[in-house]
Amino acid sequence: MRSLLVFGVAGALSVLASSRKLLEVGRLFELAQLFASGLSFLAVGVLLGPGALRLIQPADLEQMRPLVVAGLGLGGLLMGLNIDLRVLRRLPGAVYSATFAQSGLTFAAVAGPVAALLVGTGQLPLGEAVGPAALLGAAASISSGHLAVLWSRSGRLNRARGLSVALLAMLDDLTGVGVLAVALALGSGSTPTDGLKLVGLALALGLACGVLLAFLAHGRGESGELVAIALGGVGLVAGAAAYLRVSALIAGLVCGAVLSLVGGKAVAALVRALQRIERPAFLLLVFLIGAHVDPRLPLTWALLPVFVAFRFLGKVGGGRLAAAALDGVLDVPPRLGYALIAQGGVSLCVVTEYLLLAPGASAALVFPVGALAALVNEALASRVFARSLDGPARASVEPGV
Amino acid sequence: MTAAPGAAVRLVGASARLGLLVCLLAAIAAAQWVRADAGTPITLAAGALLLCALFAGTLAGELGLPRLSGYLLIGIVIGPHGLDFIPREGVAGLDLVKGLAVSLIAFTAGAELRLAFVRRAGLRVLGLAGALSGAVFATSAGALLALRPFLPFLRDLPLSQAVALAALAATVMVSFSPTVTIAIIQETRARGPLAELLMALVILGDLVVMLAFAVAAGWARASFGGPLDVAGLAGGVGWELFGSLAIGAAAGLGTTLYLRWVDRELPIFVCAVAFASAELGAELHLSPLLLSLAAGAAVVNLDPAQCAKLKGALERASMPVLALFFAGAGAGLNLSALRVVGPVALALGALRASTIYGTTWLFDRGEPRSSSRFAWMGLVSQAGVTIGLAALVRRTFPAGGAEIEALVLALVALNQLVGPVLTRKALDRAGEI
Repeated sequence: MRSLLVFGVAGALSVLASSRKLLEVGRLFELAQLFASGLSFLAVGVLLGPGALRLIQPADLEQMRPLVVAGLGLGGLLMGLNIDLRVLRRLPGAVYSATFAQSGLTFAAVAGPVAALLVGTGQLPLGEAVGPAALLGAAASISSGHLAVLWSRSGRLNRARGLSVALLAMLDDLTGVGVLAVALALGSGSTPTDGLKLVGLALALGLACGVLLAFLAHGRGESGELVAIALGGVGLVAGAAAYLRVSALIAGLVCGAVLSLVGGKAVAALVRALQRIERPAFLLLVFLIGAHVDPRLPLTWALLPVFVAFRFLGKVGGGRLAAAALDGVLDVPPRLGYALIAQGGVSLCVVTEYLLLAPGASAALVFPVGALAALVNEALASRVFARSLDGPARASVEPGV
Repeated sequence: MTAAPGAAVRLVGASARLGLLVCLLAAIAAAQWVRADAGTPITLAAGALLLCALFAGTLAGELGLPRLSGYLLIGIVIGPHGLDFIPREGVAGLDLVKGLAVSLIAFTAGAELRLAFVRRAGLRVLGLAGALSGAVFATSAGALLALRPFLPFLRDLPLSQAVALAALAATVMVSFSPTVTIAIIQETRARGPLAELLMALVILGDLVVMLAFAVAAGWARASFGGPLDVAGLAGGVGWELFGSLAIGAAAGLGTTLYLRWVDRELPIFVCAVAFASAELGAELHLSPLLLSLAAGAAVVNLDPAQCAKLKGALERASMPVLALFFAGAGAGLNLSALRVVGPVALALGALRASTIYGTTWLFDRGEPRSSSRFAWMGLVSQAGVTIGLAALVRRTFPAGGAEIEALVLALVALNQLVGPVLTRKALDRAGEI
């Protein structure tokens, strides 16, 4: 019955979120973007969860754990499917330099002050503060390109610029997941060597599942059977990861990357099948992540403004560095940093994965800040995205890039 | 242009895929050494059972067996009582899928229940269902009492208590499996008088067992010194029966309106209705099966045109859910019970099947060409309802209940393996596939 409540709330919310009338009302309060992006589900999850109204109890969250795990696996799989290694190999080095510059600067801009705050207020000794600070830095470094895509589709942003922003956002996802892998290597095993083995196991699992799924889907037409293979594949990769207590996000990402590398008609059909469940699965995941957030911790509210402010500065500064690195290589908005403020779903997955795999004081600190910041940054991004277009145009881009 | 792959190619393809899946599961189970304590196995159970069931079903189909037998067998093989690649907690955690599958199946069956059919064949079906239930009950109870000296849970009891407990166990043994029978009809797309008759019989049989079990349990409790609350018993059964029908009809009306006015994302919608029926039914002490059946029947009789859309959506939504459900049911089957009580279960199973055969033969002796002469083959299956009732007996009667449950589970294991094959054969022989 409790699961019916959770699904019922998520279903009702998804119907409301797709309602044009509600979007119109949301526009009055400048909340339309929150509804459209689905991050409003996070707020409702927080509200109904054990930390607020307690309509959803901790036991319900425990019961819903398999769905959270499946959502993380699906997130990783879809992220991996977007990685086309052949395209990545052909990208100019400047694109990687720009990604490293903007995500690295944001990482440093957030991790440093957070560590200082934790140590300065006596919450944690320096050795123990490094982990949470680095994880929050990783969550901060991730951006979402969905606003650029939306603006580009509606004709308000040049298509090439929209694609450039989406590309940078996709690449900085990998930075965030990379830092998560390091954090898990350090925090999820009894020793760093043990942790490293577990990350290796997640990679191997993703690889094996990717190869197997490509084989299973081979020769199947666009059919209900393919949808079932897609669903089963997500369950297998995410479930095996959860069973072995390694990262479902990382295993899913590797699995998706392998499928993307294999390519072909069967994989394309598999991707279409997965895209059909992507939106409802994402909304349910965001809602459940929200329900895991306990907003009663005072430290969360102390860290949240620090996180948001320093991330903003990091993105704006990093955006400048990135734009300079990309001059003549990619057509990017003049004030690139403003286009990268949205934090998106991947950062939510990163902090949730850390909460599930390295539970403890450090994860309890990182998780609510990372999750609530995604909500705040979504609202902020919808207001400042237009500013990314202000300013002088950059030099023209070399043909063929 | 390439030629369509032949049966042998499909057989090899499905075997290779299934083999690789099982190897991966073996590797995952072996990788446990990295972690002393495992995490939640439910997602793994769902994903692995679904994928394995898909290819085992294809394999079974190519071998001329029902896909459902493939689902059940692969569940047994990789489940906790077989190779143990799927942990027991993972299988137990698939409860949500069980409820969803039973409701989807009942929804599908309900969508075939036109009032015209009920008017045409209602009395005959009711008579046959009553005769079958009565005959199986009488022979099973008689056999249990005859075997009393060899059955520890009856041997030491005074006769009055032994009769009451034997009657309770016999009631459980009467039960059919609407899920298996209807799933086979759905899988084979069988259409005709036998398919209609089987669906109606298993559903009515289920109702008869529901009523009889409540009465038998009350009698058994009273014979063991407990109170006999006739009013409470009647109220409970009445609520379960009429409450399920009323709420199901309301759900059917809601579904019809959705189909008429909204008509979007139908597979997700039918899954949501089925899931809500299962959860609400359990919470309100209603029968989820009857509730969904009434919902489906309401749709087909209120608006047959909309029902065609509903059937399409049910077919799309059902495939993965049923594959997972039956593979999970297979994984939950403990065949070791057969080693302990196998001979008695085998004897009771044979008696049950021959009683069903004899009753249908007697019922149809005036109509030698009637399709119902094959009906006995479609009524052998036993599954969820039987297992649920057996568990209820164990919980209600700690002394002897566990032995009854073991016996019934062994009987179910036998009938699960044989029943789907027989049902398909019956439909085939009646020329309805």
